[in-house]
Amino acid sequence: MACEIKEKERPGCINPIFTCQPAGAQFASIGIKECIGIVHGGQGCVMFVRLVFSQHFKESFEIASSSVHEDGAVFGACGRVEQAVDVLLMRYPDVKVVPIISTCSTEVIGDDIDGVVTKLNAGLLKEKYPDREVHLIPIHTPSFVGSMVSGYDVAVKDFVSHFATRTEPNGKLNLLTGWVNPGDVTELKHLVSAMGIDATVLFEIESFDAPLMPHGNHVAHGSTTMDDLRGTANAMGTIALNPYEGGRAAKYLQQEFDIPTIIGPTPIGIRNTDTFLKNLKTLTGKPIPESLVRERGIALDAITDLTHMFFADKRVAIYGNPDLVIGLAEFCLDLEMKPTLLLLGDDNPNYKTDPRIKALQENVDHDMEIVTNADFWELEDRIKNKGLELDLILGHSKGRFISIDYNIPMFRVGFPTYDRAGMHRHPVVGYAGATWLAEQMANTLFSDMEYKKNKEWVLNMW
Amino acid sequence: MPYHLFKCSECIPEREKHAVIKGPGETLADALPLGYLNTIPGSISERGCAYCGAKHVIGTPMKDVIHLSHGPVGCTYDTWQTKRYISDNDNFQLKYTFATDMKEKHIVFGAEKLLKQTIIDSFKAVPHIKHMTIYQTCASALIGDDINAIAQEVMEEMPGVDIFVCNSPGFGGPSQSGGHHKINIAWINQKVGTFEPEITSDYVINYVGEYNIQGDQEVMQDYFKRMGIQVLSTFTGNGSYDGLRGMHLAHLNVLECARSAEYICNELRQRYGTPRLDIDGFGFEPLGNSLRKIGLFFGIEDRAQTIIEEETARWKPELEWYKARLTGKKVCLWPGGSKLWHWAHVIHDEMGVDVVSVYTKFGHQGDMEKGIARCEEGALAIDDPNELEGLEAMDMLQPDIIFTGKRPGEVAKKVRVPYLNAHAYHNGPWKGFEGWVRFARDIYNAIYSPIHELSKLDISKDEIPTDKGFVTRRMLSDANLPDEVRNDPNLRPYTGKYDSLVDLRGKTYPTFEPQAVAV
Repeated sequence: MACEIKEKERPGCINPIFTCQPAGAQFASIGIKECIGIVHGGQGCVMFVRLVFSQHFKESFEIASSSVHEDGAVFGACGRVEQAVDVLLMRYPDVKVVPIISTCSTEVIGDDIDGVVTKLNAGLLKEKYPDREVHLIPIHTPSFVGSMVSGYDVAVKDFVSHFATRTEPNGKLNLLTGWVNPGDVTELKHLVSAMGIDATVLFEIESFDAPLMPHGNHVAHGSTTMDDLRGTANAMGTIALNPYEGGRAAKYLQQEFDIPTIIGPTPIGIRNTDTFLKNLKTLTGKPIPESLVRERGIALDAITDLTHMFFADKRVAIYGNPDLVIGLAEFCLDLEMKPTLLLLGDDNPNYKTDPRIKALQENVDHDMEIVTNADFWELEDRIKNKGLELDLILGHSKGRFISIDYNIPMFRVGFPTYDRAGMHRHPVVGYAGATWLAEQMANTLFSDMEYKKNKEWVLNMW
Repeated sequence: MPYHLFKCSECIPEREKHAVIKGPGETLADALPLGYLNTIPGSISERGCAYCGAKHVIGTPMKDVIHLSHGPVGCTYDTWQTKRYISDNDNFQLKYTFATDMKEKHIVFGAEKLLKQTIIDSFKAVPHIKHMTIYQTCASALIGDDINAIAQEVMEEMPGVDIFVCNSPGFGGPSQSGGHHKINIAWINQKVGTFEPEITSDYVINYVGEYNIQGDQEVMQDYFKRMGIQVLSTFTGNGSYDGLRGMHLAHLNVLECARSAEYICNELRQRYGTPRLDIDGFGFEPLGNSLRKIGLFFGIEDRAQTIIEEETARWKPELEWYKARLTGKKVCLWPGGSKLWHWAHVIHDEMGVDVVSVYTKFGHQGDMEKGIARCEEGALAIDDPNELEGLEAMDMLQPDIIFTGKRPGEVAKKVRVPYLNAHAYHNGPWKGFEGWVRFARDIYNAIYSPIHELSKLDISKDEIPTDKGFVTRRMLSDANLPDEVRNDPNLRPYTGKYDSLVDLRGKTYPTFEPQAVAV
């Protein structure tokens, strides 16, 4: 029995689990109010990211491109950024925050986006927009480094470090959620508010679930304000739930402003949610209220009906964002399941020393593999050619054909989940998330039992 | 035909010449929007890049090919599972995508070794696939990797495999269209003439500019087979690599999407003397005329006529049922390139809807010329539209429905305009006689959705109707229909299956004796 972590041996990629850095920066940008990012590169780097966001959320988000064409690639394209900023500001009078997000092409040609920002601040903004508050923030996200996960991490840090300003203590807690869904933010805010804590949530994306109203145009957009970002320097503490998605910003605030900081754990499952509440208590001194004891009890009650009867020893493969995958694996172990394969889609060297992964290596009592820089072929090849047997797959929609072609039930979780309705509306974090995850995993297994006629009669009485 | 400057674009006057309103009695000579010019940065245009134009639009619908992108992983991720080009080989091209996954060290030291190893490993992973297309990206173009040389090297070392290289980086042109052109020319230069497929009929065509969205190609192929015509290749939907290498052997190039694929037809005419015939698979009349033209070319009009009569008898009563209920509905026809002119007149003639606006993201002036000529008076035509202009246009025109892409469709939803996916379709295929009824059915279902009606009610201000527990589409669509139309026994709504392709795959066709005359 061993738990091994290794990097994918093959170079190249067959069916990617992640996309590249600029997508992560774009995801962070849409969480901020009065913010439209400009992606400095070819138009596809924006068009397709907006598409995948719209596939996942069934909403459209505004992100601009500097539309680099051939002349820009040859002679440099900084002028395209200058023009883009002006056009964007002229046509969107409410926009105040404009991240300039680099891509592989503009990093390779060496466009100096920091220099462009300096130039625009001294020139265009002063001359043409003297009475308007505008923040241009260069964000370097070359696509050949890291992944969408690190792109998000870098962007959150860049937004925070641009705005964070020490004034008076504001008595608030910084809550960096990581790459989550609107349903997660709702649940996290509920937990924090039940503890009587006032939190700055990065990012306020509940409004990504935008309504269809009888009048007006209610476009989905995040609602974190510039003041929220400024105030992060004055908080009583910071909790970054996902070390790889917001950890960098939390460390910055800690180093720069001495803000007490706790990074992790991703509050997936009962145990990690307990720890999250303990951390809230530690940082704020507030007690955990009876109401949360009750909510926890409801979750445990639901889960107890499922664990030893249905989940015990079920073999699971999990892929997606690292903090999500690790959190899910930990929860699966609490549910008596056997996470046998974890796939992390980039080559972040820190995975090997992640204490949560070390704990898995030291304690799991079944064979388990963790593959970094992984693609979907790492999963499919094991199933098709190496005898890997699975009872369940947990992951996002891009892996759907493995589930379909090899008849393995799959519960959609993570980003993107475009082939199931409304997944973004439900939390996977907190006690409510634990209940949702456990019950949906069970229902997925139940449907599969019926479809395959595999002891489907068990459910006659349960 | 005055140019139309959107309020939201007054500050960027160069946009003025990108939109016109077709005034009464005016001709195209009065004004024509500019097209295929550089995008205005920061305008939130809907355009994509030349890489996706080459790979995602034209390359990837080829079904028996490893599609490998040489670059960081994002380009590959983006152009995977974002379209509906199916195939009859279990959708290999939808399920698998390959990338070299270039990292920083490759940018610095070059990625040719990585490329070679990835090519070899990819062939090993899916040993039943012997063909590969490699797509350059921005990153690999800029570092200057010689993809062609590596491909050649591998072909020499691995007998039995064949590799095509398309150098169309994302920055190569104002839009997707640059990539369409590059891959057309690359294919004929590298691959046409390198394979001799078996000729099994006296009548042999290449079906060009057809991408088998939800099965369009298979529907059209069915008609061709019923006429005894051999479809030697399809460029590229449901098309096979070897078939496309044999394009030079066809007697006729039948061209559907002239925006994306006329280049290869023109080259085939130049180099091999193969004539080009432009056809149209959308709409009873244009499709009937197209089959007739092909029949005429080969001297088998009777075969075409038989199909037209059979199909019309089967499906026309269903189309007419929808036409009666769609007449006068206002449509914004906002697709990518060629559908604005493929659909503009025929949805008016055959479904009764009024096209109040056309737009094109990557079309050229020629597309606009055809589109404007075919749409209704007063229609607004927009080249390279952007987010704000789209909203302003919808506000101005108050359309009943909009045909556009997935993401702009979400924008339309928020202003309570239903949308149909013009690129990937809702419940297609939409080509063919049955397909055209499916399109009409989808339009009807969208416009008359009882939910759509509910979304306009403001429960805080409006009188809430309490007399009904439900409303059906028919209650809405038939409310003002004359009795003789509503109860017309000759008309009926769509009666086909959810998946209209199931009966096509594996179907057997009559054999036509080859004619003895050899030229």
